[in-house]
Amino acid sequence: MVKKTVIKVDYSKCHSKANTDPRDCRKCLLICDPAIFLMHPTLEDDHPDPHNPEIWRIDPIWLSKCTGCMKCVEACPEQAITVIPGTSLHEMKAR
Amino acid sequence: MCEWCLKHGDGGKWYENARLYQNELADEYNVTAYLEEQWKNMETLFLRKIMGFNSIGLGYKMKMPIIGRVIRSLVEGQIHSEKKNRNPARADGHFGQVLPLEDAQHIIGNLAAEPIIKNYCICRWMQRGVKDAVCINFGQLSEVIEKHTRYIPEGVKYRLDREEAIEALQEQNEKGYVASVWFQPVPYINAICSCETPECGGLRLRNDFDLRTVYKGEYVIDINIDNCQGCKECVSMCQFSALRYLPSIKRVIVDLDKCFGCGVCRHACEHDALNLLPREDVPGQAGKY
Repeated sequence: MVKKTVIKVDYSKCHSKANTDPRDCRKCLLICDPAIFLMHPTLEDDHPDPHNPEIWRIDPIWLSKCTGCMKCVEACPEQAITVIPGTSLHEMKAR
Repeated sequence: MCEWCLKHGDGGKWYENARLYQNELADEYNVTAYLEEQWKNMETLFLRKIMGFNSIGLGYKMKMPIIGRVIRSLVEGQIHSEKKNRNPARADGHFGQVLPLEDAQHIIGNLAAEPIIKNYCICRWMQRGVKDAVCINFGQLSEVIEKHTRYIPEGVKYRLDREEAIEALQEQNEKGYVASVWFQPVPYINAICSCETPECGGLRLRNDFDLRTVYKGEYVIDINIDNCQGCKECVSMCQFSALRYLPSIKRVIVDLDKCFGCGVCRHACEHDALNLLPREDVPGQAGKY
């Protein structure tokens, strides 16, 4: 049974309206070796306004590549990231 | 490149076919309208759904029995789509191939339509938070991208003449970035990227999920064992983990199944030990793209 990795980002802490705008911070993007995070405007409608800072956020997207190293949790200045490590694709390949 | 050369190469490599760079072809496929829609929100690409699935946790989705195989075939069908109703916001029909610096420079020097621009790599910005103006775009795509200032590098000359673009590619390739040429959408060619894995969206899907967003190049590397001095410099250049140093024989070996034929490793070699061979001439590699 594959246990999926779960990563949560608390958007009340990581948001342009909070202390830290994700587009200025970007610490999790820089620290993650497999680059599992994606910074993007949210898709509230078909064509969101990319110049609106409020719709930008960082989402964990390539979850199966997370190795559970927890460096993003440590690097986040707002303590906004929680990681519950599961199976990484590396492990699945090794089996 | 097997399939796409047969379809669009007119007897040669697809990316050496001058017809695929022309305005007339772009107009025939309404390319500007497609690109305007695609580039309006390029940053939302991976959130767009295909039959209800977006890319979040794609690795787990593709490991599911049956459903995984359905997703694979849907995604590849979308990536390679030549249908009339392609969805630009999802970049249907947008895929490419790795190529060595010489071929990329030949395209810029002789085939690419003007204007030629350089702009920020969206992949690197979204995945690594770094603004790096390394994408060389040309033809109708340049005019579309220019309208969106967030893609345009600040305070530098971003419209390039052919010589400047050739030089930019040289500099980026020597840094270790892999050159790649793109249909956008197939069969119109309008971009040469300088990719870095794992941030590159195309290489991500290819390397991690075996989806053919990026095909391997028309070449593979060959190591001249008489010339290799075992300095290991080339190993650090390879983005595909195809090169390795063996202490027992004091030289570098290549795993040809992993080699994309980008030729970037050659920049690190001071002993003329690395050369590209046509993939089709190498036993076991012919037809493997």
